[in-house]
Amino acid sequence: MRRAKPPLTSAALLAVIVTAVASPVAAHHVGAYVPKDNAITTNFKQVKFSVQAKKFDVALQLFETGALRAEMRAHAATLPAGLEEGTRAALKAGDGAEVERRLMLFFAALARDLAREADRHLADGAATAEVRAATGRKFLEAIWRYYNLVDFAVSVRDNKTSVALRLAFDEADTYVKPTAAAAPLDPGRLRQPFQRIADILSTLVEASSTQARRDS
Amino acid sequence: MTAPDPLTWRMPPRWVLLVGVLSIVCAEVAGASMARFKLELARWARGAMLTHPTIHGLVGVRDVDERILDEALVKFDAGLRLFHMHAEGMGLVVIATATVAATLAGPGAARRAIVGLLTIGGAGYPVGYLVWSALIPSQGLERAKTIAEWLVWIPFGSAAIVALWWLAALVAWRIWRP
Repeated sequence: MRRAKPPLTSAALLAVIVTAVASPVAAHHVGAYVPKDNAITTNFKQVKFSVQAKKFDVALQLFETGALRAEMRAHAATLPAGLEEGTRAALKAGDGAEVERRLMLFFAALARDLAREADRHLADGAATAEVRAATGRKFLEAIWRYYNLVDFAVSVRDNKTSVALRLAFDEADTYVKPTAAAAPLDPGRLRQPFQRIADILSTLVEASSTQARRDS
Repeated sequence: MTAPDPLTWRMPPRWVLLVGVLSIVCAEVAGASMARFKLELARWARGAMLTHPTIHGLVGVRDVDERILDEALVKFDAGLRLFHMHAEGMGLVVIATATVAATLAGPGAARRAIVGLLTIGGAGYPVGYLVWSALIPSQGLERAKTIAEWLVWIPFGSAAIVALWWLAALVAWRIWRP
């Protein structure tokens, strides 16, 4: 009588089949990326929390030595006139609401400039739909990084603007999603929400600056 | 002369031990180098990324580009760290599993195959992280990952997984038929 063969061969075969079918061979641990605050957003949070704690001397020192003031100077040409001086004066006077409003204007202006820049980049007709969507996605992330810091301050002062901006943002987000990029998208359509974001923020900055001039 | 105790551990071939130990040595050297040359490595990677703006999707706007560069640098660093950890761990895994295979598998093709697959797969897999990391600056995150996958992770990882399943089946068989 023939002896049964050791089951090593069949075990190996089974292992191969199980591995081929069930093993996640392409699943590798490659780490996760959590976006960090940059120098501007970090300094904003430091100033904001100091103001909330009514430590205006600390907030003033953080403002004078931090990235916020440096950035205000770098963007002076596109910011409302006297934004830096006004912020400093509000900090010295211990006027928390005015500090918040000035910083809201600053970040709204930064987000507006990014939306305009995104529109210029998306106007490039030579780029493929995927490249345009990827560019839009990156700009949207950068815009949101700044705008979300002041969204609450905006909504408290002008709820309609806040809602309109969120709607424009959601529309842009739909167009730049990787799944949406698979279908060719009209570049003009992709630009529309960015143009709307820029317009909304532009109106907000101008209206708030005018209001400030009237109040002063 | 008496027959050896069947429960006595058998050493795997010396070349297997050498590969396992070398893997641990490489892991330690890589870990030390990462700490010593952290700044130089980051500078090199950043410089190389800036020379390939299209690959990384840089748009020339600081507020957008800084995040793209930051993510690539974080992944570049993660690749080196994962190589350090995997090479260290897989060196030990190779030695341990090859010892189990040498002890439980009878001499012959099956034992040679299990030990060979475990050693080559186990020692080769961590190199994928080094390849991934090294390619990020010039190829971008996704393409670098794809290259590392098809060149290293999938072939070597599969070899190690097949060998481990095979070894698991062998151990189970030895429990049933000592």
